[in-house]
Amino acid sequence: MTEATGSARRAPRLELVGGGVERRGRWLLRGVDLAIEPAMLTSVVGPNGAGKSTLLRLLSGTWRLTEGKALLGGFDLSALPRRQAARRVAYVPQTVRPTFEFTVREFVTLGRYPHENRLFGTRSADRGWIDSCLDDTDVLALAERRVTTLSGGELQRVLMARCLATEAEVLLLDEPTSNLDLAHGLDLLGLARRLACEGRSVALVLHDLNVAARFAHRVAVLDGGALIAEGPPAEVLNPDLLRRVFRVEAVPLEGSAAPVFDFEPLG
Amino acid sequence: MRIAFGGIQAGFWWYMAAGTVLLLTFAGIGLFRGAVPIDEGEVLAVLARHLLPGERVADPSVDTIVWSLRAPRVVVAAMVGGCLALAGAQMQGLFRNPLASPGIVGTSTGAATGAVFALTFGLAGSFLLAAPLFAVAGALLSLLIVTRIATRDGYTPVTTLLLAGVALNALLAAFNSWLIARSWEQYEAARRIAYWMMGGVTDRGWVHVGMVLPGMVIGCAMAVWFARDLDLLLEGEEVAASLGVDIEKAKRAVLWSAAILTGSAVAVSGVVGFVGLVVPHLVRLLLGPVHRRLLPAAFLTGAWFVVGADLLARTLAAPEEVFLGVVTAFVGAPFFLFLLVRHESEVAVSR
Repeated sequence: MTEATGSARRAPRLELVGGGVERRGRWLLRGVDLAIEPAMLTSVVGPNGAGKSTLLRLLSGTWRLTEGKALLGGFDLSALPRRQAARRVAYVPQTVRPTFEFTVREFVTLGRYPHENRLFGTRSADRGWIDSCLDDTDVLALAERRVTTLSGGELQRVLMARCLATEAEVLLLDEPTSNLDLAHGLDLLGLARRLACEGRSVALVLHDLNVAARFAHRVAVLDGGALIAEGPPAEVLNPDLLRRVFRVEAVPLEGSAAPVFDFEPLG
Repeated sequence: MRIAFGGIQAGFWWYMAAGTVLLLTFAGIGLFRGAVPIDEGEVLAVLARHLLPGERVADPSVDTIVWSLRAPRVVVAAMVGGCLALAGAQMQGLFRNPLASPGIVGTSTGAATGAVFALTFGLAGSFLLAAPLFAVAGALLSLLIVTRIATRDGYTPVTTLLLAGVALNALLAAFNSWLIARSWEQYEAARRIAYWMMGGVTDRGWVHVGMVLPGMVIGCAMAVWFARDLDLLLEGEEVAASLGVDIEKAKRAVLWSAAILTGSAVAVSGVVGFVGLVVPHLVRLLLGPVHRRLLPAAFLTGAWFVVGADLLARTLAAPEEVFLGVVTAFVGAPFFLFLLVRHESEVAVSR
């Protein structure tokens, strides 16, 4: 692959210390102590409404914490100006259809914002970088297409390219594979894992527990706004926890290094 | 529909070049043609006298017509069009809605209220700049009220802003009607208000150019400085913030610059409709939504559009004048509908 994946420095540790957020009198997340470790792919899992997306928002610094702190390399993230924070932490929310007709290249170039000069914008050196980001997510051929005409899966890969364009060392992705076909899904997870192995900190919200177990170095399980467990997939994902948190009967399948389950409804 | 021969950036420069030629052509017609026929050579002599260094003489009556009547009228028209189109482009970006107009947060109605106030209470009669100054103050005061209402804990959601703007617009429009009804017996004041409400740049002098200039310069500078932030805000505040935009600061800067631009424009021209809605929409279709290109292109397009519309206003029913606001609406509204229908079908086909 090209340089977009090859230039990572050792990423800082991003952690939440006693993190909690209250909106309209309801705690969406509370008392969360969690670190997104450098050179690790952390998968965030949990049932609907567990607070997974909220967790990523707090880690990215786009939402203010009601209590606790978000620390980037030991420093309070909220004390950093937004521009500087964006150079270090990239956050991709769940996919929303764009309504304005940017071309794919213009759209991905939005990711250069924290590096741009206010008046003169992107330099020509950035253009090569954008190309390599487009290439890494297999959307270079779409560069001149309007983002409004993309399929869900194409759009998701374009969003990943924009995330890479920021050059951030910490990547937070909310359900990055929800619209992808199998091959592109595996490609993206492989890319995420490679980025992590090269030294970045990567956190993904995933719904497929088997995929989470296979690709992630660590798994964080959320339920009802609280962190239930965190650790290597083989230790965390066990039938007992899955029954409690996901309310499913998990039958472990033999013959694989990572835990693989067959799921059945509780009966 | 998007212009992209030789790349998007090259398309932009072609568009700007074509716009400049149109602006100069319309401005030229505005200077050389008018109710009083004047020889081209004499017009050139007047322009040379004022614009080139060195002492020259010109016929004083010709000089007055060309330099004190025609020239400022063209310049004011260009400035008003540019300011309104630029402010419209900003509001459409901020509200992520191609149907937003410069006055969507109550600024142009607020400016109208200010001017009507000055006119009904006779302030305008005693002091030439009273109406324009009250108009600018009205625009800024409206924005202040709307942002105050919409802000909670330092956060201003654009949807609340929009609703507050709609409410204030309705309130101020009613207030304007009441002021006008009050002044009905004073024929002169009522006539001036009616003329002002319909918009126009008739009899504008260099003093009016001086009136728009500071607001235009400040508003444009702020708009350019925050142009890139608007690109990111199009993608929603959460995305913008995650990519490094200080969203509250950016929103405030965009709102105030648009209010300054709108207020200054409405102050000297009255309510010239549809420019701030149609022009940015058209330019976005042609050049795409990147504001570093969209904003200057909208300004230039607004400028030639209003100078051209003013030519129509002067000549359609000569020697009588049609109101400029009437012309822009008559040209702008059908054109807008045409774009809408055409663009809708384009979208339908591409899906």
